[in-house]
Amino acid sequence: MNFELTEEQQLIGQSAREFGKEYLEPIAAEMDHTGEFPADVVKGLAQHDFLGLTLPAEVGGAEAGFASYVEVIENLSRYSAAVASIVNNHTICAYIIQNWGTADQKKQYLPALAKGDTLGAVAIFETGPTPGVGPEALVAVKQDVGYVLNGKKAFVRNAGKAGVYVVFATADPAAGAKALTAFVVKSDAIGLKVGAKLDTMGLKGCPVADITFENVVIPETSLLGAVNEGSAIATKALAVYSVAEAAQTVGIGQAAVEHAAAYAKQRVQFGKPVATLQPIQTMLAEVATDCHLARLGMQNAAMLIEEGKPFEVEAAMIKSFLVRLGSKMLLDTCQVEGGFGYSEFMPLPRLFRDIAGTNLLDAPADFPEKLIAANIA
Amino acid sequence: MPKCLVCYKWTLDEQDIKIKPEDLSLDSSRAKGKISDFDRNAIEEAALIVEKNGGAVDALSYGTAAVKQSLKDALSRGPEKVYWVADTSAETADAAVTANVLAATIRKIGQYDLILCGEGSSDLFNQQTAPRIAALLGLPCLTFVQKLTIEGDMIRATRKLDDCTEIVSVKGPAVISVLSEINKPRIPSLKQVLGAAKKPNEEIKLADLGLKPEELQPKAVRRSVKGFVMQRKNVIYKESSAADNVAKLKSNLAAEGLC
Amino acid sequence: MAGIYVFSEDSALASQLLTPALELKQSLAQPVVALTLNEADAKQLASLGADKVVVLESSGKWVEGFAEAVFAQISIAGASVLLVGATLRGKHLAAFVAAKLGAGLTTDAKALRVEDGKLVTTRVLYAGLAVCEELLALPAVATIRPRTFLPPVADGNVGTIETAAAEIDTRVTVEEVTSTSSEGIDISAANMLVAVGRGFRKKDDLKLAEDLGTVLKAELACTRGVAEDDHWLPIERYIGISGQTVKPELYLAVGLSGQVQHMVGCRESKLIVAINNDERAPIFEAADYGIVGDLYEVLPLLTAALGK
Repeated sequence: MNFELTEEQQLIGQSAREFGKEYLEPIAAEMDHTGEFPADVVKGLAQHDFLGLTLPAEVGGAEAGFASYVEVIENLSRYSAAVASIVNNHTICAYIIQNWGTADQKKQYLPALAKGDTLGAVAIFETGPTPGVGPEALVAVKQDVGYVLNGKKAFVRNAGKAGVYVVFATADPAAGAKALTAFVVKSDAIGLKVGAKLDTMGLKGCPVADITFENVVIPETSLLGAVNEGSAIATKALAVYSVAEAAQTVGIGQAAVEHAAAYAKQRVQFGKPVATLQPIQTMLAEVATDCHLARLGMQNAAMLIEEGKPFEVEAAMIKSFLVRLGSKMLLDTCQVEGGFGYSEFMPLPRLFRDIAGTNLLDAPADFPEKLIAANIA
Repeated sequence: MPKCLVCYKWTLDEQDIKIKPEDLSLDSSRAKGKISDFDRNAIEEAALIVEKNGGAVDALSYGTAAVKQSLKDALSRGPEKVYWVADTSAETADAAVTANVLAATIRKIGQYDLILCGEGSSDLFNQQTAPRIAALLGLPCLTFVQKLTIEGDMIRATRKLDDCTEIVSVKGPAVISVLSEINKPRIPSLKQVLGAAKKPNEEIKLADLGLKPEELQPKAVRRSVKGFVMQRKNVIYKESSAADNVAKLKSNLAAEGLC
Repeated sequence: MAGIYVFSEDSALASQLLTPALELKQSLAQPVVALTLNEADAKQLASLGADKVVVLESSGKWVEGFAEAVFAQISIAGASVLLVGATLRGKHLAAFVAAKLGAGLTTDAKALRVEDGKLVTTRVLYAGLAVCEELLALPAVATIRPRTFLPPVADGNVGTIETAAAEIDTRVTVEEVTSTSSEGIDISAANMLVAVGRGFRKKDDLKLAEDLGTVLKAELACTRGVAEDDHWLPIERYIGISGQTVKPELYLAVGLSGQVQHMVGCRESKLIVAINNDERAPIFEAADYGIVGDLYEVLPLLTAALGK
């Protein structure tokens, strides 16, 4: 049983860590205050091949495995989870095109995505109860010219900065989610309007907004996968995304526990460093343990994805674990840092708000525990 | 089109080394390996020279079996090929042995126009390797270089010394040691990292270097290493009134006869 | 007979090297021979304890180029120990000679003695984290930093002075030398130092530290960032692993965090005092006395209190 990362994975992680230290650390706090999109950093990510990491060489990707990818995400997240979020959402867009796109679609969109010339985004969720259901649902009507899209997508990450959107619309409002269909839509499509940027609780710098589609006409060739295949695609993509997001959570947790441990060694109260007090030790130990176990679970799920093996149950497990314990990591580390740590010039408040944004339940239909319970032995 | 060789050391990250409070001995069990900081500058400088002048860069390292962990790291930073000598002797090797091994290896693997090293290793910082190798190979040596230019077979360097900067030139081949300020080593892009797996590495066995036993005997033997611990009074004033703190400090300084 | 050799192109440092050399002479019962490139230094070295001074003469000036000549001199009678002043030039030369001798070399030796026919040296490792003892078989070489030792006191004996033609390495051409020492300040000679770090927000604010220095009669020193990045003070005032090492009576550290790389340059100070607004700063572990507070508030108060 080999739990060690390969040399490549270690070196890739090291490069990501160095990039994070060099380019993300200096801007993370400021970006959290302004919410400004880090355009220069994204250019740097592109130059270091972080935006095409898993894509094949023939489209300009680095052709690395998903296990290497999560190393990047975890290490970037230690410095800025917001930037990691930008990368994750971009990567899932490319992932969908890579796995369900036609040869022509791949040729048309992947090279620019791999090089980072274009940023990608995925639009799944809506204001209604399920994608494809409700008065604002995004509907795709087949016509001679192709499809016409009408409706609204909500909470699209990278909205406004992406050049390419993978969009899920229902081909039949009566059938709702069962007729969900995926399309590739360019950001300059006429009638596509990105709404005002949402002022989110955390992960600031990764833009989030609604997108309204008003008679957006897209050609036949925009169809991604088969008609009605959308739900299956979204489910798979979200499962992969949940592992990438888990890497984000682990990165945030690691940054928090390291900061809190260093703080506890220095902070003297009641005559000794607080690190010697049992309640502090307990909190730090629990966070460090949860982070360690989460990392192992996340890496295991990533390995399964890389090897093309079934991974959905493991992905659901790590998601469930982090929904329960992700925020606790920050609750505990904040408690360790007490009054000092509560100030906005310290990093933990930002990490607290960031981690709350990485464990939102966003599976279109099923919650992770349902899948896990159904697959025990 | 200079043919460059960079000598680097695989060291333990000194930030991970802890001092055991019981006996002040050093605990490096958790220390991760890294290419010595100044050697990274040397590798980067060689990569920059080759980008500008053409030519090629090889890398060379002498270390324990752990040196194998460094190969892909080194190859991801510019060199086309890495030579390595792995032997337990490296555990106790001093600067004399290291230079003997590196010089013998260089004699074996080929002719180079430029041999680059970092100013010193980030763990021991002996600052001896470059001049020693130069002496053994009969080559001129330029140390403490902060700027390097190659014009044909002329090597021109700006050296930063204690009280002056000196511009020197020499006809290659020569041995150069570089300062950390000479450049900023690039973070390897992921394609460079993945490309490293495709580049060649060659092991050179110590036994094949033809060194005499006394050349492998360290002349400086480390007898004891103890963590340095500051023993100070640690009387720190934290009252909310700065004036009170100052008054207390003043009386301490007066008692110490300093004011 | 083999000898104990000393060499430095720096006059003051060359004299300082005689102190450990004379101690080694007690154990080894061998003559102390000082090699110098400066005729002007010869008399001083001869009167401070060198049994013999050899002035190496050459048309060339490049110090490092004399390495081969130094080796040649040593090879005449043999050396048990060679002590070289640890200027950067000295380190280059010393390593070269050590390779020719097949000898071990301790860099920046802080202490040396002979034990059972071997040289035992003490030096710093891991950027100041550790201290180690090395055992060197003879012949052995060591480089020694300025002001590690005080020069010996003249005892009336005067050694002989001779000159020798030196073959210098002509392969290297020195094209230009630009002096970088600006003011000729030697903070290592100061009895008291006020050291500033990046807790000061702008260059003008250093006046607060200067005022304190005036009442204390202390010189100003600084961390690497203040000298090399901000250029608020000249490089001669920078204390740290690649800057100056000082041992004043009082080292008053203001607005600096106290990282190992800085502290290694001042940790042998007799008394260390720290002022910093971050009570978790490592400087407080290294301080005898300290105040946790805002330097902008504390300094004027301290200056006023000490000025009385």
